[in-house]
Amino acid sequence: MLIQFKGFVCFKGWYFLGGFITKGEKIVSLKEAGQIIQDGNIIAVGGALSAREPIALIHEIIRQGKKNLMTIGGAHGLDIDLLCAGGVVGAVQNSFVGFEFDFGLAPNYRRACQSGKVQVRETDCNFTLQQLRAAQYGIPFMPMPRVGGTDILQLHPEFKTITCPFTGEKLTAVPALKPDVAIIHGYKADKRGNVHLTKPYFADVLMATAAEKTIVTVEEVVSEEEIRELGIVIPYYEVTAVVEVPFGAHPTACYPAYAYDRKHIAKYIQLAQEGEEIFRREYLDVFVYGSETQQEYLRRVGDEEHFKRLRAWRQDITSWMEVFGE
Amino acid sequence: MTDVTYCTIDELMAVCLARTIKDHDVVFNGVAVALPFTAIMLAKHTHARNCVFLGGLPAGVDPQPPFLPPTSADAVMLHGAVTILPLHEIFDLAQKGKLDRIFFGGAQIDKYGNLNNTLIGSKEKIKVKLPGGAGASNLSCFAKNFTVWTSRHQVKPADSRKNYTLVEKVDFITTMGHVTPSGTRKEMGLRGGGPDWVITDLGVFDFTASGELRLKTLHPGVTMEELLDNTSFRPVMAEPLGETPLPTREEIELIRRLDPLNVRKREFSASQLERRYPVKN
Repeated sequence: MLIQFKGFVCFKGWYFLGGFITKGEKIVSLKEAGQIIQDGNIIAVGGALSAREPIALIHEIIRQGKKNLMTIGGAHGLDIDLLCAGGVVGAVQNSFVGFEFDFGLAPNYRRACQSGKVQVRETDCNFTLQQLRAAQYGIPFMPMPRVGGTDILQLHPEFKTITCPFTGEKLTAVPALKPDVAIIHGYKADKRGNVHLTKPYFADVLMATAAEKTIVTVEEVVSEEEIRELGIVIPYYEVTAVVEVPFGAHPTACYPAYAYDRKHIAKYIQLAQEGEEIFRREYLDVFVYGSETQQEYLRRVGDEEHFKRLRAWRQDITSWMEVFGE
Repeated sequence: MTDVTYCTIDELMAVCLARTIKDHDVVFNGVAVALPFTAIMLAKHTHARNCVFLGGLPAGVDPQPPFLPPTSADAVMLHGAVTILPLHEIFDLAQKGKLDRIFFGGAQIDKYGNLNNTLIGSKEKIKVKLPGGAGASNLSCFAKNFTVWTSRHQVKPADSRKNYTLVEKVDFITTMGHVTPSGTRKEMGLRGGGPDWVITDLGVFDFTASGELRLKTLHPGVTMEELLDNTSFRPVMAEPLGETPLPTREEIELIRRLDPLNVRKREFSASQLERRYPVKN
């Protein structure tokens, strides 16, 4: 159902041409959503660390064998690590990629950076927020109080020191950064693309507003009435495509639907630490290449009981704590 | 309740970190956080009841989490919050000079308080890619002051070649301390005051007027020999050099209640956690 030619994408009767998307239904399949992303694109990945990362879409991007993408964003973990393992990224411009003191370093990201397969464009959360802001505001750069002394500046020759024309103070200026595609996992949306996110939003709204195109995967597509009732955080005209993917952020959390799957992440880390080959064979081949549909993926992750536990966080504090226990 | 006649290194360090917070301070902490989260919550329950806690990436204001999670992005850090800020507003506060204190860990810490969380080796030849500094390169320039901590001052005895955490010169400056090859804070016109405390598993440091690390106290039972053996340079010594003040029974009880999952212990090795420190009654 996807026709594509230069700068023009068309799904089932609605159209899009580099501006607001104001017409029609935006529900597409995961496969169609993946096809919106082009080799070499700058992709802004929503969520953060262990929360609301668009993992199902990332699996699809890997299955489609994209090349040379550049990720931008703040503090992330499994999503960026997985993209590195899948060989689809050429550069990472995030401020942090790791698993904190819970599981430590991100093994695939680390390997890709150390071997030179991925260009290290490490940045700062605030640099990225200000760059997205400039894109959102429609201005070429954003000034901020002077940032100096840090070698992060050596990784970004595009950042400049300027003199404020009003006060004479030295300031740091960062250029607008417009993602080609923002990929976000939200809680619910309607078919026109009105999205309800649950807090925390991290940089998701900024990414969706700054990006050329925005793909949102959601737990559930609901009626426009329900989405108005819940509260629309990203309005339809900012959204290019919506995909319904239950547990689409798994193994990261998507509250209130489910907490993060610490057990699955532990397994992921263990396999990733064992090396590239083992990770490919025992993780990617099983959970990414071997699971063409989300249903198949979930079947391989665990039984009904397993997912029940991830949903049980809201029963009481004890159940919530159990998610984080051993 | 558990035995509070002694405490362990995670608890002693949490108390040291908490004591760097003053009442009414605006405090933020972002990523990789168990120990500072514990410290800030402790300060809010003891000497700094009016400090404003901007809790982690979820950016909840004054959260009251029923337990501390092992990941700083979890929604439990919004529990009981007064309100939730968009993430960029935390950085706006810092840019406006309204952030009093933040906490930064350092995989490498040099004698001017510069921190490396980016890479070991060089950017042309990366030996170990570390996770990154998150918001630290910017916040270190904007925040009034910051507290640095490391749980890895003690070099593993098994290592034939020592990989020091406290080094003469860091491999990569992620976070600006007081003096760098590009100049001092004053020379560059940075707004923030820089690091004023460094808390390690062996002792507590502050800084001299010229921005050099100065050993202020050794933790109970730690000898000077042990500290120097685990530091790649000889730090300036405070006169007189003291012993780190003991935590109180109340502080230890609070820590154990605030962090029932013991996530603060996860960055320490089993042997580090075996060491016992006295508690003031």
